[in-house]
Amino acid sequence: MNVRKLMLLALAVTVVGSLGLGAQAIKAGFIYVGPIGDYGWTHAHDVARRIVDEKYDWLSTVYVESVPEGEVETYIDQLVRQGCNVIFTTSFGFIDGTYAAAQRYPNVIFAHASGFKRAPNMATYMADFYQVYYLNGLMAGALTKTGKIGYVAAFPIPELKRHISAFTIGVREVNPTAEVHVRWIYEWYNPAAAKEATEALIAEGCDVFAFTEDSPTVIQVAAERGFTSFAHYSPMYVFAPDYVVSGQLVHWEVIYDDFLVKVHNGTYTTKNLAHVDYWWLMAQNAASMGAEMGMPVNPKYVAPLKAFTVNHPQFGRISVYDLVFLRYNQFADPGITFDPFEGPIYDRKGNLVVPKGMWMSYDHLITMEWAARGVVGPWPGEP
Amino acid sequence: MKRLGPFVLERRLAPPRHVVFGVSLLAVVVALLLAALVFWAYGVSPVRAYSEIGRGTLGTVGGLSDIVRRAIPLILCGVGLTLSFRAQFWNIGAEGQLLAGAVAATGVALFVRVPDGFRLPLMFLAGFSAGAVWALIPALLRVKLRVNEVISTLMMNYIMAYIVEWLVHGPWKGPTMRGFAYTDMFPVAARLPYLTGTRIHWPTLVVGVAAAILVALLLARTRLGYEIRVVGQSPDAARYAGINFTTVLALALVVSGGLAALAGVGEVAGVHWRLRSPGHVSMGYGYTAIIVAWLARGSPLAAIFTALLFGLIFAAGDLMKTTLGLPFQITGVFNGLILFSLISSDLLMYWRVRLASKEKAWTGQAGS
Amino acid sequence: MDWTSWLVGTVSRALAFGVPLLWGTLGEIYAERSGIVNLGVEGMMILGAYAGFAVAQTYGHPGWGLLAAAAVGMVAALWHAFLTVTLRANQYVSGLALTLFGLGLAGLLGRGWEGRPLRAPLGSLAVPVLGDLPVLGPMLFRDQTVLTYLGIVAALVLWIVLFRTRWGIVVRSVGESPATADAVGIHVGLVRYLCVAVGGLLAGVGGGYLSVAYRPSWTEGMTAGMGWIVIALTIFASWNPLRAIWGAFFFGALYHLSFRLQAYVSPELLKMMPYAFAILVLAVSGFGGARRRGGAPGALGLPYVRGER
Repeated sequence: MNVRKLMLLALAVTVVGSLGLGAQAIKAGFIYVGPIGDYGWTHAHDVARRIVDEKYDWLSTVYVESVPEGEVETYIDQLVRQGCNVIFTTSFGFIDGTYAAAQRYPNVIFAHASGFKRAPNMATYMADFYQVYYLNGLMAGALTKTGKIGYVAAFPIPELKRHISAFTIGVREVNPTAEVHVRWIYEWYNPAAAKEATEALIAEGCDVFAFTEDSPTVIQVAAERGFTSFAHYSPMYVFAPDYVVSGQLVHWEVIYDDFLVKVHNGTYTTKNLAHVDYWWLMAQNAASMGAEMGMPVNPKYVAPLKAFTVNHPQFGRISVYDLVFLRYNQFADPGITFDPFEGPIYDRKGNLVVPKGMWMSYDHLITMEWAARGVVGPWPGEP
Repeated sequence: MKRLGPFVLERRLAPPRHVVFGVSLLAVVVALLLAALVFWAYGVSPVRAYSEIGRGTLGTVGGLSDIVRRAIPLILCGVGLTLSFRAQFWNIGAEGQLLAGAVAATGVALFVRVPDGFRLPLMFLAGFSAGAVWALIPALLRVKLRVNEVISTLMMNYIMAYIVEWLVHGPWKGPTMRGFAYTDMFPVAARLPYLTGTRIHWPTLVVGVAAAILVALLLARTRLGYEIRVVGQSPDAARYAGINFTTVLALALVVSGGLAALAGVGEVAGVHWRLRSPGHVSMGYGYTAIIVAWLARGSPLAAIFTALLFGLIFAAGDLMKTTLGLPFQITGVFNGLILFSLISSDLLMYWRVRLASKEKAWTGQAGS
Repeated sequence: MDWTSWLVGTVSRALAFGVPLLWGTLGEIYAERSGIVNLGVEGMMILGAYAGFAVAQTYGHPGWGLLAAAAVGMVAALWHAFLTVTLRANQYVSGLALTLFGLGLAGLLGRGWEGRPLRAPLGSLAVPVLGDLPVLGPMLFRDQTVLTYLGIVAALVLWIVLFRTRWGIVVRSVGESPATADAVGIHVGLVRYLCVAVGGLLAGVGGGYLSVAYRPSWTEGMTAGMGWIVIALTIFASWNPLRAIWGAFFFGALYHLSFRLQAYVSPELLKMMPYAFAILVLAVSGFGGARRRGGAPGALGLPYVRGER
């Protein structure tokens, strides 16, 4: 009997053993790429983990933070050895390690965030922000005086390109000549880089800011100069209560809750996950608008947004505030009636990327590389 | 020589092996005791902590395989570094040399047309050459322009890291990676096989152990090895003996950098199957290897064992995070403590304590 | 975009970003001048950043925070001094260990402090009169904290101390040739202890600046490799405090420009500049025939044992 067989046997014994104790007990392991103190991506996943952990007594959770991408299999091995029967891996870079582990541990359920590889025992999930960015863009377009909005971005990957373009489409809907100036910092987390990128944008004349970076740096720097900004990922209102207008908030707990409950009640098994892909947006409340839980727009900015009116092709004369909430309600409605990427859309080079009356498919959304009209700055990989 | 009550402290020039081993072991024990305090402060019983770590690392096949897998790059980098250190060349650049090997191997794996059977050997060859060149630069800078090698090699680590960063974000970004910053996956012919039931990419391990033996032979039995030792011990003596300093140092660094680069080849061909951000390609193996080589006191064969020790420490760090649920920073604290303890013990080896006998106490003034 | 605005923006950002580098580099220069390499700058800076934030947050005044940062940096450096001077341990390994340990410890202690802004940050100083000057005002006298000016003063003082005082001769001779210094009755160990401690103090202030002034909040790993840039800068400045001023601000400008010039130059290329420059400077000073490796202290990195060469 070789080693592999021995291991499989041991594993089978553990799994059967844990099942025997009651099919309900779930031990979920979470593998994070960053430290939970990053106040961004990993922090948000961990907040969600704690919420579901406290909510259900049949659930226990463990987590591992700061896992290098190439080492994910090692940690999966250890979590399985500890008896985890559901494992969440929360970085795109974990994709192949998770997939390989799913083959090796057919009796464990895996879910991988932001990826595209699935198996009978491996699902994928993502809470996406592009609708929220579009809403933020509407407000940013109304608030800019210089007509230049700054965007500090982490990596030039489709996710960010989608968000920046959605944001810019929002901006241009209320302010057709405004520009969104982009700077990349090539890191998910680097306060110093975010600060200097913001300063560079300020020097270019930007006066409203949005960003994708895991710290509240951009907000703090903008506020220091009296400029408004939009928070990202975590509640960041406290960092500049006078200057944060709104932002994007994530609620991974709604996905974890749904997923784990379905594992618990037997809907999800190790055989039927090959087509389970959560792509949850505002309608599912996986993403919401605001800089603070329960505060979609900073009260300080309600009046200026109500005062700024536009002549909208669809709704006639309307204040940006009303427009934002009109769209907000459209997004919140499960039978979505509007999408920011509704054709006709031309990219900034003038190519028609979405034909009139069409929406982008999911596959197009997650692979999009083009930049919307109004985006200014380098755009690596632009078609 | 110092007198302390009934004891006498004596200095010795070359501590015998058992002393080196004993004192190092003692240092590790002291570090473990200090770390026990940290565990205790975090509400984890040190006894439980160490028994969990012991069971999880040494007690299972998976645990053992994790140790060996982490030790592979450490052996290759560490053996290479023992050679630099013997020549008194403080090569801090194994990390950059490792990455250079990873880059060259990726280039061969993805972009060179070559029959499948030759692909892996060619990757190792290209990797070795890239690392050799990357290490040769600081060697020549030192010989020709007196550039401090600690600084040049350290700086070159960063330069290579940014080259990797640039490659994965720019020209080598894989079309199948959906815009993420990775190269495409290596073809199957460019992936190293595993030892059954583990994720140990054994060819690299074999290369590492063979390298250790060869470098040991080189140092002990060849003219070049002799010259390297002379250059290291006394550059003046080397000059009188007619040894060409430049050639000897260059050759030593070619081997040193080349071996570190082989570790990089092993990581991309055996672990990742692609090139990715430098911080994820290597978990600081090149830096850890400095300590591996230093602990091995310049012996390539001993480096195998010190590399395994650090493989164990890496694996223990994993378990602290998973089984014990401790914050990840604890591994930094733990490793720092072990290092502090090891280097503080260094001095101990050079002193011998014994009971003072009368005659010795009065006549021993001639010593230090 | 007109040239004055480029100039004003670049210089003022170069100063602001250069400050932590300047303080760290001054500290490292001082330590290395006495012959002790301290690769633990990153560790000392992050400990300083944590202590600075925690104390300023608790006591509501940035001054206390900076004092705490300085003190913590000094304590960490004293530990390095104990290992390398008293125990004569390998300086490079000890420094690496200090960095590992410092990053770990600051991260552990810092848990729970993230996600809140500092309630008493160190604000920019609007210098009266000078701040109202055209061009020069916004460039130099509006967006800087007091630490920018104090850093420059510290560099001047350090230069005078090193090159114009008796104590400076003592420090440099200990770094050049400890045996000779010993022979004339200088307590080599004591001098090295003091220099390393002052070095840590300065590095601690550099770290404190990050969390108390530059970006007033605490986040895990917020020094993000600055300690290693400091090591490069020390050589770049040829161990000269005055050159450290323009070196730090030059690196600051490069960093800032890597974002402003992003459309034209690859960011990776700009980011590797500081490191490439450090090697280049050493190589060029080698060409110039500088006998002491670009001005490096002769006994740099070597432990001193009385009676050995």
